[in-house]
Amino acid sequence: MFEKILIANRGEIALRVINTCREMGIKTVAVYSDVDKKAAHVIFSDEAIYLGPSEPSLSYLNMDAIIAAAKQTNARAIHPGYGFLSENHEFAQRCRDEGIVFIGPSPKAIKNLGDKITSRKIMEKSGVPITPGLTCCEDDLGVLTNTAKKIGYPVLVKATAGGGGKGIRIVHSSDQIEEAVASASREALKAFGNAEVYLEKFFTKARHIEFQILADQHGNTIHLFERECSIQRRHQKIIEETPSLILTPELRQEMGTAAIKAATASNYENAGTVEFLLDENNHFYFLEINTRLQVEHPITEMTTGVDLVKHQIEIAAGNRLTLKQEDICSRGHAIECRIYAEDPERDFLPCPGKIEFMKEPTGPGIRNDCGVYPGVEVPMEYDPILSKLIVHAETRDQAISKMIKALQDYIILGIKTPIEFMIDAIDSGPFRNAEVFTNFIETHFSNWQANKNLTDMTDLADQPNLTDVDLTDVDLTDVDLTDIAVIAFIADELGGVKNNQQPFSKGKETATPFDTLGNWKL
Amino acid sequence: MEYNLIVNQKKKSIDAGICDQAMTIKTADRIYDASFATISDHQILLKVNGQNINAFIRDDNGTKTVIIKGRSYEVLDADLIEQNAFKKKMQVNKTIVASPMPAVVIGVLAKIGDKVKKDQALVIVSAMKMETTLFAPYDGIVSQINAKVDDKVMPTDILVDIEKQKEQI
Repeated sequence: MFEKILIANRGEIALRVINTCREMGIKTVAVYSDVDKKAAHVIFSDEAIYLGPSEPSLSYLNMDAIIAAAKQTNARAIHPGYGFLSENHEFAQRCRDEGIVFIGPSPKAIKNLGDKITSRKIMEKSGVPITPGLTCCEDDLGVLTNTAKKIGYPVLVKATAGGGGKGIRIVHSSDQIEEAVASASREALKAFGNAEVYLEKFFTKARHIEFQILADQHGNTIHLFERECSIQRRHQKIIEETPSLILTPELRQEMGTAAIKAATASNYENAGTVEFLLDENNHFYFLEINTRLQVEHPITEMTTGVDLVKHQIEIAAGNRLTLKQEDICSRGHAIECRIYAEDPERDFLPCPGKIEFMKEPTGPGIRNDCGVYPGVEVPMEYDPILSKLIVHAETRDQAISKMIKALQDYIILGIKTPIEFMIDAIDSGPFRNAEVFTNFIETHFSNWQANKNLTDMTDLADQPNLTDVDLTDVDLTDVDLTDIAVIAFIADELGGVKNNQQPFSKGKETATPFDTLGNWKL
Repeated sequence: MEYNLIVNQKKKSIDAGICDQAMTIKTADRIYDASFATISDHQILLKVNGQNINAFIRDDNGTKTVIIKGRSYEVLDADLIEQNAFKKKMQVNKTIVASPMPAVVIGVLAKIGDKVKKDQALVIVSAMKMETTLFAPYDGIVSQINAKVDDKVMPTDILVDIEKQKEQI
């Protein structure tokens, strides 16, 4: 086993890996940039090595600096986390060349699966269903138009190197194809240095279901059931849960088998995620394999009781999988909410800043994978994820109640977060009824605003102009929470008086017992 | 005393009777008996009609973000906006003798016609059982006193007018 691992990442995921390493008796090396000198992952690591300026390309994407840091500290392996270099086959190859273990799949598997066309071809050949469309890049408008006509509109024009919502265009009719191809190519060239596009069917009301897999270097591959990740904003997931309510045991087994088949076909090793689209007729289609630890992996850990990071490390060390498929069972229900520094009232735009105060929720079945602390400045240079709040309970209804309670107890002051939005989303009729599709937010929360006390979200879709809502229906039956806010305001003014600087008093007044006793008075 | 506040951009008027940490708040359709305890700089435990309610508060130049049960409220004092503008003015000139907060006058140390020196104590006010002495901002002669013992005063009330003494050449 490795004695020391370098974590080539930051924030909550770096801390997540540090936690398991400490449990395994493995020393950790954190890396950091200028703005991250006092970041949480630096504070909690055994050693921390400075990489360079805050700009990602000079720090967390700087392969030379990261390899040098690993050599300097004698770290035998590198855990890439998610994002940054985690799905970069050149980096995985570079590690291999330098005699450092990259905790993840082989460079070749990363490369093949990172290319939509190659992965579609691999899956088609091994009998894993793929979305109807092309399995080669195509710039001939005639071919594209014919294919679109054959599979039926709407279709997606997609960059072969795409990802993260970039290089994708939805096309509803043949006259839009030319423009879509041109703009998707342009965007893809800019973002990935590759202008190639292809075409596939677009499902307007699809669910996004993914299967966690673990594969060792000895040909053993298992799946750890599904995660339902349909609730997205800007093509990024924000609420995930497991198990999915839509999967029957038969469909779950069928998809799990297909996930293992997909992993085996691509010679996959380590932890990975096979993503499927599930259409309204319960047909599933392979989308892609994410060749990394997913952001939402904790919900799988909660329901299966398996520490995925621990298995990642053991697999990378060459160990055989200690788990067999029949060992894996899912218990209860888990939900994750991603808490970003963002403003849900303004299209979820990132809002970096200083966290003046925070209080994390606690209690049975509540897990908060957190990468920040009170007083820390959330930098604007990186993904603004603050933490992932995860709950686990016996049933979905109980998990919903637990999540609402946990969100209510989660206080972050100083920056905008989607906590309040999450409460409304989780508490909404459509979510409670498991009517979650990829268009959930657009459909039910397109003009969401804080504090409208919308008691029935199902009606919201029909009445988007709900501005004056009766405030008497709030949860504290006999009080109006806006009144309580006013009382809190006055209390803070009164309590704050003695703390305030009084420019005219010149500090000459004598202290009274009230200065030292606190404010409580019976 | 009536307070005019703005909660989430909506105006709200309430009547508040405040005695130390206890208050009685009347709104258009409700009445609350409330007391509070400051838990930390950002947390206040309220007891409202017998119920414990935790409020988390951040003050940003008089606008407070209040989080209760996961809901956030932006509260600002409509009157305070005026007061703040006034305070600011005072801070700029520092030429006015006024209480920094709503308070009760417990002592007046000067009388009309007094020649006062800068930093000489003029008025003592009390709020929240804490005494604050107000000093002369500059040398001069007291031309008017607008406060007497037991008067309730607001930060907008000028308590003592001082005619500035001409600077010595």
